Amino acid sequence: MSVFVDIAPDEPQVGSAAVVASAGKWRGRITRAALPLLSVVVFFIVWQLVAASGIWNQTFVPYPSTVWQAFLDVSSTHDGVRGYAGFLLSEHLYMTLRRVLAGVVIGVALGVLLGLVMGSIAWVRSVLEPWLTFLRALPPLAYFFLLVIWLGIDEAPKITLLALAALPPAAVATTAAVVAAPVGLQEAARALGASRREVIRDVVVPSALPETFTGIRLAVGMAYSSVVAAELFNGIPGIGGLVKDASNYNNTPVVLVGIFAIGISGLIIDGLLRAIERRAVPWRGKL
Amino acid sequence: MRFKAAFAALVLATTALAGCAVEQSGQQADKPTIRVGYQTFPSGDLIVKNNRWLEEALPDYNIKWTKFDSGADVNTAFIAKELDFGALGSSPVARGLSAPLNIPYKVAFVLDVAGDNEALVARNGSGIDTIAQLRGKRVATPFASTAHYSLLAALSQNGLSPSDVQLVDLQPQAILAAWDRGDIDAAYTWLPTLDGLRKSGKDLITSRQLAKDGKPTLDLGAVSDEFATQHPEVVDIWRQQEARALTLIHEDPAAAAKAVAAEIGLSPEETEGQIKQGVFLTPEQVASPEWLGAEGKPGNIAANLQSASQFLADQKQIPASAPLQTFQDAIYTKGLPSVLSQ
Repeated sequence: MSVFVDIAPDEPQVGSAAVVASAGKWRGRITRAALPLLSVVVFFIVWQLVAASGIWNQTFVPYPSTVWQAFLDVSSTHDGVRGYAGFLLSEHLYMTLRRVLAGVVIGVALGVLLGLVMGSIAWVRSVLEPWLTFLRALPPLAYFFLLVIWLGIDEAPKITLLALAALPPAAVATTAAVVAAPVGLQEAARALGASRREVIRDVVVPSALPETFTGIRLAVGMAYSSVVAAELFNGIPGIGGLVKDASNYNNTPVVLVGIFAIGISGLIIDGLLRAIERRAVPWRGKL
Repeated sequence: MRFKAAFAALVLATTALAGCAVEQSGQQADKPTIRVGYQTFPSGDLIVKNNRWLEEALPDYNIKWTKFDSGADVNTAFIAKELDFGALGSSPVARGLSAPLNIPYKVAFVLDVAGDNEALVARNGSGIDTIAQLRGKRVATPFASTAHYSLLAALSQNGLSPSDVQLVDLQPQAILAAWDRGDIDAAYTWLPTLDGLRKSGKDLITSRQLAKDGKPTLDLGAVSDEFATQHPEVVDIWRQQEARALTLIHEDPAAAAKAVAAEIGLSPEETEGQIKQGVFLTPEQVASPEWLGAEGKPGNIAANLQSASQFLADQKQIPASAPLQTFQDAIYTKGLPSVLSQ
């Protein structure tokens, strides 16, 4: 998931130029909606052409229609078989989203808290920073086996892994944002008689929030991209488990269905987070 | 300017690093290369590799050995035309020969037959003494493996369907961890994990018994159709070296274990114990009607593969099983049995 920073455009100037401006705005909106759609259409056409050209084996590049058929099979009960490995696609996705939600909530909550403390107290930052960087550098696959030994094969290791993936980005972004809180405003608040706690609550946290939100979106992205690793063991039902199992059987259409499901739900989640961000911190970029 | 300099430095560093990749294959550019995919289950394949028999017998070729972790990966490499020979289980071969993969390769050798080295073990204290008592219990196995196939075969022998038990997809190391924690009641897996499980559990059935009941799982040597057509003489030499390894396993188990141990990183003693629990055919048996058969008369292995294909179709992992003829056509019997004894 990429991170776009939304800077809400200022309201258009009212006056004689308003009509022209609004026409331009509409054209802009249509372009913005049409371009992504166009890119998707072009993608499918290229895909179909590549598959039809026969350069690659069907196992590498199946037809879009084959993948669509796999999607229908995985989403329904057919010939007495329920979805994939006994679960429908929506159930796989639901289990994964539940794990991601639990992991992200834990990871982000701890991360933001850690970031606040690290940003406000210099010696805590010095103590914890190397550990955080250490954790951030580890690919989840490297330590997942340890989590299985310690926590078993059910939900606990999966959620822990996702939380560990989500924690560092949230913590790092929050730390940076807290450190960067404008000193001028803090001193002004101090001069007006605010206590240390009031300065943090009324000045530091609000000015750090926009960047923290970026960190949260990064954290969700990190957790989401660790889903296949988290569901490596006993991952069914789960979309990552589905991708892994299908690839064990060289079942490319189902692998692609899983990848699309992960990617598209990731896009939707990021869109939701951006909408929440716009509502929650409308002062982004205006401080 | 500084940007340009940095970019130049980056390009230089990349090319320099690409030059110092760690390789020890000793390839010579003027000789054609034979690409062999192997896996680290104890078999004659590892003896051939460790003793460099193939390199000795084929001095006019480079031999490039590549390690694979699963039959699915070997299949992928065959599809990509990156392999000439490959070692993989009977279940991946059955999948590869069926639609939609239809991989153009042939079964040219039986490396080993699963015996007591793969087994279904129940944990002490779980109250399970027979397979029928597994109903509703948690049973772990690595999915898409030969053990998975054997587990479902054992269940269906006892009138259980896969949905009657809670099947858990775990790799062998994770099975051991989950077992020690008490997360699972039984597991179908292979050595060396199996040794750990047997310390606190007991066998319900082994693959040796399943083979007697007509559901054997095997490790096979496959050769790509293209290579077999172009270089039949190399395939002959490859089969002779594999046969030589089987003979060594029977005649001098200690020497065989030493070579295998060097490849899989266990002690020779442990390895010898593992090899004893597997079933290694003699070259004569390999070319008998029960397995590969003779030229023009493909053996019973085709029926085994067809039944594995049917199993995959029942599991909905392939759309439909391939007919017996497909598998008979995919047994490489050229020159059998006399070619093995040359």
